[in-house]
This record gives sequence, structure tokens and C-alpha cells, in this order.
Amino acid sequence: MKTTAMMFLMLSVLALPVSTQESNDGSAASAIRALEHEWVVAQAHNDNRALDLILDDSLVYAEYGKLVSKGEYLSRIKWSDPQLTQIVMEPMTVRVFGRTAIVVGAYRKRDLKDGKPRLSRWRFVHTWVYKKNGWALVAAGAAPLLNNQN
Amino acid sequence: MRTSALLMLLACANPVGYPQETSNSDEAAKLVAMQHVWSQAYVLKDPKALERILDDAFVNVESDGKLITKADVLAEVRTSTVVQVLMESIVVHLHGDTAIVAGVILAKGVEHGKPYAQRVRFVDTWLYKNGQWVTIAGLVTPVGE
Repeated sequence: MKTTAMMFLMLSVLALPVSTQESNDGSAASAIRALEHEWVVAQAHNDNRALDLILDDSLVYAEYGKLVSKGEYLSRIKWSDPQLTQIVMEPMTVRVFGRTAIVVGAYRKRDLKDGKPRLSRWRFVHTWVYKKNGWALVAAGAAPLLNNQN
Repeated sequence: MRTSALLMLLACANPVGYPQETSNSDEAAKLVAMQHVWSQAYVLKDPKALERILDDAFVNVESDGKLITKADVLAEVRTSTVVQVLMESIVVHLHGDTAIVAGVILAKGVEHGKPYAQRVRFVDTWLYKNGQWVTIAGLVTPVGE
């Protein structure tokens, strides 16, 4: 079951359409898309080691209106049940500004609330900075998409 | 008066729990001041103040998930109903020529004759570009419980 859910998640990520707004730095944009994909997969695997490499130590993560540190985020992922949350990524836009990149996109999230399945759609914005070990995620946050906006 | 307000804002900058990448207090102070200008633009209905702060490629994810551009923000400022903005907390993380500024603001205003108060969390990305800081992306969400 866990494997099936993982495969579905991975396929959903792999099926991402090509962005309609490419940056002028194609290689950086491609690297960041790959990291975004790695992030989702690592989260689904509860793979804290992979996440540790992707997330900057000073990550600022806004989740449900709260600020969460890298340590808090990793702690939550470590103990969460991946079967309870399924994330399907939608097309994303990557804009590269030298050693900084902004990723904007949306995802669908299926989880349980009070034991009942719930489907929600979120818009996210992620900030990546190129550091000595490569691109690192320094800020991330999402807001629930209301009224099925595009 | 403005200096006092800025000093108060700086005093509120509390990086506890989020270690700073570098300790460049001058740059952090500039960013806090610019964030202050940004919020005051809504009170003063002054889109010109934002012209040079927002990069042309700026995008912001609003609390309802809507994605807005620089032009949208400038239009929003022109018709703002905000009468007061209080910066409740702010923290700056510097990463070379990139900075993440996060905090909580309380916006008070009057819309259709009714007063309102909205507390939101923001996370903004700033870039040092052509000799000045400009913001390239932002996120606003309601403050969680």
C-alpha cells in the first residue's frame, strides 16, 4: 500500500508539464525542478537525510500560518505517516535571478482530518539560494487556494 | 518620530530559533526599514513608494492563494482601506545578496464603513540588485493558532 502510494506520488511528480515561463538560465531551472521533485519524494519516504541536504539550516517555512524551523519540519516528517498525506504537484514556474531562484506553483493535498478524507489545493512559493554545496531551500510557504482559483 | 518607529521595529527583530546566516546588521536594518515603507504605502495610499522596492518580476501569494504581480500590488495600494499597520514581529535572514524577511503584521482599516483588523504572517524574498534591495517574491498567510 505504501509502495503504491509512493509510486502514484512519484508518477504525479514526473508527469509535470513543462513550465510556460522558463527562466533565462535553463540549467539552474532544471536543477531546481529536480530538487523540488526530490523534496516531494523525500517527504513521502520520510527521508530526513535527503531533506537535510535540500533544506538550508536557516529555512523559514510558513505552514498553516505558523513559522516552522528546519528542525521542527524534519521532526514532523520523521514521525508522520506518508499514507495519510498524498501530494500531487501541478505545473510550476521557476525564475532564476543569478544565485537566487523563485519557484511558484500549486499542489493538491489529500489527507485526513478528524478521520475523514480531505482534499485541498495550495499555492506555494519557494526560494532557493545557490551556496557552496549547491542549491538550498531557504524559504517556503503555501496558502490554501480558495474558490478553485487558477 | 520616524527614527523612533524604526528603532522600535529593530528592537522587535528577534531571530531566536532562526540563526542568521550572516550578522550584517546594517543590511538587516535597511531591509526592516524597507519593509516598513512597504506597509506604510498601504496607509498612505502611495504606490510610488513601492515602485522601486518591488522588482518588476515580483510575485506574491496572497492568503487566499491568489497569485498577484507588481501591477496588482500597486493597484491594491491605490485603493487601500488600511489606516494603520503594526509590525508585531520581524526577522531577517541574510544569504549573501539574498534576504528572507519574515514577520507578523496587524493591519487595521475601514471597509464599507466597518472597521476591521487582520493579523497576517509574511515571508518576503529580497534581492540585492543594481546597488539596492528589491523584493522579488512574497507570501501572506493568516496567522495560525
